[in-house]
Amino acid sequence: MTAPVMVPETKVEESVDYARPWKAIVWDDPINLMSYVAFVFQKLFGYSKEKAHRLMMEVHIEGKAVVSSGTREKTEFDVFRLHEHGLWATMEKDE
Amino acid sequence: MSRFRPEGDVVVVDLPSGEREMLSQVLSDLRELLIKGGDDTLRRLKPPAHPDSSEAETSYRELVDDDLLRGRLEAIELVELTLSGAELDASGAEAWMQSLNSLRLVLGEQLTLAGVDLVNHKMPDTASAALYEWIGWLLEQLIDAASQAHDL
Repeated sequence: MTAPVMVPETKVEESVDYARPWKAIVWDDPINLMSYVAFVFQKLFGYSKEKAHRLMMEVHIEGKAVVSSGTREKTEFDVFRLHEHGLWATMEKDE
Repeated sequence: MSRFRPEGDVVVVDLPSGEREMLSQVLSDLRELLIKGGDDTLRRLKPPAHPDSSEAETSYRELVDDDLLRGRLEAIELVELTLSGAELDASGAEAWMQSLNSLRLVLGEQLTLAGVDLVNHKMPDTASAALYEWIGWLLEQLIDAASQAHDL
């Protein structure tokens, strides 16, 4: 006979990552070139060509995309770098 | 003939003299506008980081506006120094891109304020629209060359 196996109660993981509560958002605009926007994503965030292109298309089609997330300070710095490159970026706290 | 071409790990700038003069003129105008500040056409160079909080936005502006201005002026200066031909490394190419893009953002905003529909790309047959298109054409070539030279 074996003792009944005790199944430990599992705790459902929270879906919100509390370590990265802020996000940088890039909005669509009629002036910035699509190729330029994708280039900036690669350059600033080290994203692959594919990921940068996908995010750029998300901005173009959906009107906006979350391009990075992190602490308030890190996100504000990302937004600053996006502004340096002329992209329409804002930041908000992840709810 | 391409104005920017990749050669090994640099981008070679090769502009005809008429285009150099034109670019030199519009960059000098842009510098003046940036230093003077406050113009409606600069709107796209300073998007709000915190559109929903004027308090957070005020402190963001205090933190970054001087750096944004200084960075743009330095980028313009590098372009002016390399206008008559140069081999650009990654940071040189970036300064060129930032400057060309700043020009487009200002010209684009001027066109928008004049009633031009940029969203549907209904461009009028005017000198400023032609200038805007030309700078976009230069920027496309530079991105293409830099992507190859700087392995992005």
